[in-house]
Amino acid sequence: MIVEVGFLFLISAMVISFMGSLVPLVWSFNKETNLTSLISPIIVLVFLFTLSSLSILIYSFSIDDFSVKYVAQNSNINLPIYYKLSATWGAHEGSLLLWIFLLCSWSLFYILKEKDLSKDITGSILLQIIFFFIAFTVFTSNPFERLLPVVPQNGVDLNPLLQDFAFTIHPPILYLGYAGLAIPFAMSVSSLLQNSVNQDWARRTRPWVLMATGFLTLGITIGSWWAYYELGWGGWWFWDPVENAAFVPWLMAVALIHSLIVSEKRGHFKNWSVLLSILAFSMSLLGTFLVRSGILTSVHAFALDPERGVFLLGIFTYFVIGSLIIFSFKNTNKIPETGYTTTSKEFGFLLNNIFLVILGIAIMFGTLFPLIYEAIFDGKQISVGRPYYDTLIIPFAIGLAFLQVVALFFSWGKTENLSILKALAIYSFLFFIVLVSISYLVFEELYFSSILSLVLFTIILLGNLLSFKQKERSKYLAQIYTKTGSTLAHIGTAFFVLGVGFVSSYSFEREIILSKGQVYELAGNNFKFERIIKESQPNYSADKATFIVENENNSFTLNTEKRFYPSSNQVMSEAGIRPTLIKDYYVTLGEELDTDIWSFRIQIKTLVRWIWFGALLVTIGTFISSRRNFRNRDE
Amino acid sequence: MNNIVTKLPLVVFVILVASLFIFLKNDNQELNSVLIDKQFPDFNLSSLDKSKVLSKNDLEDLPFIINVWATWCITCRVEHPFLMQLKNNPDITVYGINYKDDRREALNLLDRTGNPFKFSIFDPEGRLAIDLGVYGAPETFLIGKDGLIKVRHTGALTPEVWEEKFTKYID
Repeated sequence: MIVEVGFLFLISAMVISFMGSLVPLVWSFNKETNLTSLISPIIVLVFLFTLSSLSILIYSFSIDDFSVKYVAQNSNINLPIYYKLSATWGAHEGSLLLWIFLLCSWSLFYILKEKDLSKDITGSILLQIIFFFIAFTVFTSNPFERLLPVVPQNGVDLNPLLQDFAFTIHPPILYLGYAGLAIPFAMSVSSLLQNSVNQDWARRTRPWVLMATGFLTLGITIGSWWAYYELGWGGWWFWDPVENAAFVPWLMAVALIHSLIVSEKRGHFKNWSVLLSILAFSMSLLGTFLVRSGILTSVHAFALDPERGVFLLGIFTYFVIGSLIIFSFKNTNKIPETGYTTTSKEFGFLLNNIFLVILGIAIMFGTLFPLIYEAIFDGKQISVGRPYYDTLIIPFAIGLAFLQVVALFFSWGKTENLSILKALAIYSFLFFIVLVSISYLVFEELYFSSILSLVLFTIILLGNLLSFKQKERSKYLAQIYTKTGSTLAHIGTAFFVLGVGFVSSYSFEREIILSKGQVYELAGNNFKFERIIKESQPNYSADKATFIVENENNSFTLNTEKRFYPSSNQVMSEAGIRPTLIKDYYVTLGEELDTDIWSFRIQIKTLVRWIWFGALLVTIGTFISSRRNFRNRDE
Repeated sequence: MNNIVTKLPLVVFVILVASLFIFLKNDNQELNSVLIDKQFPDFNLSSLDKSKVLSKNDLEDLPFIINVWATWCITCRVEHPFLMQLKNNPDITVYGINYKDDRREALNLLDRTGNPFKFSIFDPEGRLAIDLGVYGAPETFLIGKDGLIKVRHTGALTPEVWEEKFTKYID
């Protein structure tokens, strides 16, 4: 019964959000009927309804109500309670409901945070988005569907890959990022409709973009970390279509953050900012479509259904083509005469934007290319792999790193004094020599990627620290304080790049066969296969191997497992990882080849943690910046 | 100038949406394989009966079919009698990949119902299966006389499917 109530809540939310989305239409027909005061109460109602609906679904999981098809397919009676709860977003239907709920939360936050809503139709545009996604859920992906009359006894089980802590938080945070991009989109479209794209609009929009980007960064980071230890391959990024679907909106959002600065401070790039906010949201919708329609297959792909694909593509078309039509016809702003030179901050930001957007388009192209190829070459399939993306990303990384630094030193309009760049070059060169020497002494080898990452690390780190031109120490610190957010985020990219370069240079990987008691030596470390035991848990059984690793400095044990989940017939590897600041020791258990003879994969990953540490700095910096911007504009 | 610039994104996205609709319609349910006309992937796995460590070189009798199966796969039992028939066909060799399964149960099943395979590769984690792009069981691949993958079939292997898709590559 309560399940039907949950569905009823969802339908009510759909109907009310539809009514709320009509406000601008009514207003455009009759200038006297301004119903914008209705938008806020409607958003509150829709929020409460979707909250109740989601709570009921979570409740159904907690009481193992296997009469609900979605629960039966994604949970199991033996599943620990916290995984039962997170199983709510373990598949398509529930994660869609979560997405909708989070979008409602953003909308609620928007109407609470923005002061003057008397003429603001942003909320109404958000309600349109909410309406379409609820309709999509209700008509094609209903999580409340019953499985009657035969009720299964104990459920199929949550995919074992997803039975993991990082997974319980990865989707909500990532979706907060995705859904958050709807706010700048809605603000842009409403400002276009009301001809109010101006500096004030840019100032109001920027903290929202920053906040959404913060969540997006954090969500992607957690996803990458999860893939690293849970998939057992030891990689941190796979250029999988779903990863790209998150990365491309991120690139657009970062471009948007920077172009909004110019729009706010100088009044330039306003069209460009509007376009970017449309692009960022479009890319997150396109990502959703690609993943959920089954048009591309990937590790993340959810259940496939052509009907869903058509519906989602319809939604995509409506919002993207609709907003672009408004953009190209409503938009009467003349592109402003330049008023800046090639040695200005504006120009630096412009190049930064072009780089980010082209990179985003190139990645999206790589993701779609298999489809294009299949259509042209009569059904033959091809996959665009690592080499394409790895080659692609290097020039962009170099360009973006240098631009970041140069733009920090440039002034608005025109930079008079470029001597500081000379000082930066000298300092960077010296610092770089020191770092390269240390790396050579420690690792005894240098590679293209390690040298390149050191160059970029040096220039970004020193560039950020030297960009504060104040000589006095107290003033210098005060200046850093006012720019804490952006400085942290920028320095984060330095650590990230260093991690990426060093992992690809100084990592070791071996596939080996060992019998019990045997020792394998890898890069000065002795890996001893100590023992293997069988173990039984409520929801799986496992082979558990123990290694003792010894090197000059210390010794430690590593446990790696292979689990068999009977309810879903899946085998899962649990990698044994010993994390340290400098190196990760990583062992995965393979096959049993004979009694007590097993195959293993042994890896040593250098500076791999720095990748996520850098990304976390970016996240924190972005959040700080968002908070500052909210405070400054609301003062 | 301004007009062209602001309408360019619209044009690009209209083309994108139109092609996506076409892709969506084109999306035939037939799963093609990237591996058609490619070499069979390398692997190092033990045989199901633990008798030896197998690699690509052990698949020596060309042409052959290799069938992905498991005890938990109901459709595999449907195609089992036909595989038993193929076992007696002198023109083709039948190998198996035991996919994400329990070794003991798999051997039991073969004991009870008969073993159509020259041998089965034991692939509990789906390592070889991943390289083959396997979606689930059953799936059957045909490797021709030249050692290249010719056919990929998902779902039960029936005499009709055999006639239609496989026989043309065999003699």
